[in-house]
Amino acid sequence: MSDDRDHPELRSRSYPIREDMAYQLKVWRFERVGWYVLVLVVMLALVGLFSRGLISSREVRSDDGKIRVEYEMFHRNGSTNSMKVSVNATPDTAVELELTGQLLEGFSIETLQPVPLRSRSSSQGIRLWLQTDLDGQAKLYITLRGDGLGFYRSQIFSPGTNGIKLVQFIFP
Amino acid sequence: MDSVLRAGAMYVALLVLFKIAGRRSLAELTTFDFILLLMIGEATQQALLGDDFSLTNSVIVIVTLVAIDVGLSLLKRRSRWMSRLIDGEPTIIVENGKLLHERLRRARLLEADVMEAARSSQGIEKLEEIKFAILERNGKISVIAQED
Repeated sequence: MSDDRDHPELRSRSYPIREDMAYQLKVWRFERVGWYVLVLVVMLALVGLFSRGLISSREVRSDDGKIRVEYEMFHRNGSTNSMKVSVNATPDTAVELELTGQLLEGFSIETLQPVPLRSRSSSQGIRLWLQTDLDGQAKLYITLRGDGLGFYRSQIFSPGTNGIKLVQFIFP
Repeated sequence: MDSVLRAGAMYVALLVLFKIAGRRSLAELTTFDFILLLMIGEATQQALLGDDFSLTNSVIVIVTLVAIDVGLSLLKRRSRWMSRLIDGEPTIIVENGKLLHERLRRARLLEADVMEAARSSQGIEKLEEIKFAILERNGKISVIAQED
């Protein structure tokens, strides 16, 4: 921006203080660009890049439509978010659901509602048995608290159905 | 370990934020600036301490913040570049009774700010009575009156 320096008001003075206007202009430019960055951050926060918003809240279904998961893609370390898992299976039976992958490494499960009929650890995660209602629906509400940092990939599936792959990110 | 990292990250984040906000932002505390400062303090507190409210943790955080602060002031003494980066440089905004409008615009200042400083520090009534007004590194405006 050579025209900035040519402006008579923006030339460096040496009395009563020695100025370096080239540097000062850089500082002002930094402040201006910084302001745009701040506005951008606010916008991104509003649309949910930092959890809870349009781009963070996701709903996915397995290919066969039997499992549906509503979850937050972006989490923040130390904050809690809910996850809702719905399974379609034979009415009035126990349906098995397996949570595997890095879910249990990055998050701690604070609450699990309703309490599963049975639960067991498996080689890759945990298995839960839920009671389906007369329409064959079972729902599980999970409260997750983000403990880790970075990306966590996990799967949720029920034996005999296609599973769902989730990618979640935890901010510091 | 994480207490030190938290404090360090917060220090850097606030340093950058207040560099973006400019030197004027908290120089002249209005009532609202004071409230804003309190709110920033509240928002920072949780991130600094996490869920550990022990005496040890708070002492570690405070020690880290003070250590960084002292370290930076030592660095500033050694390197002019560092000192300029952190504290900035003073800028002349009134020269021989004339406002340097282009500079005021970029520093996000109004003529009223200059006159307020002139009145409160020198009892000056008119712009022509100002020989120099300088926006100092800490954001305050110092005024040198015309000699007559």
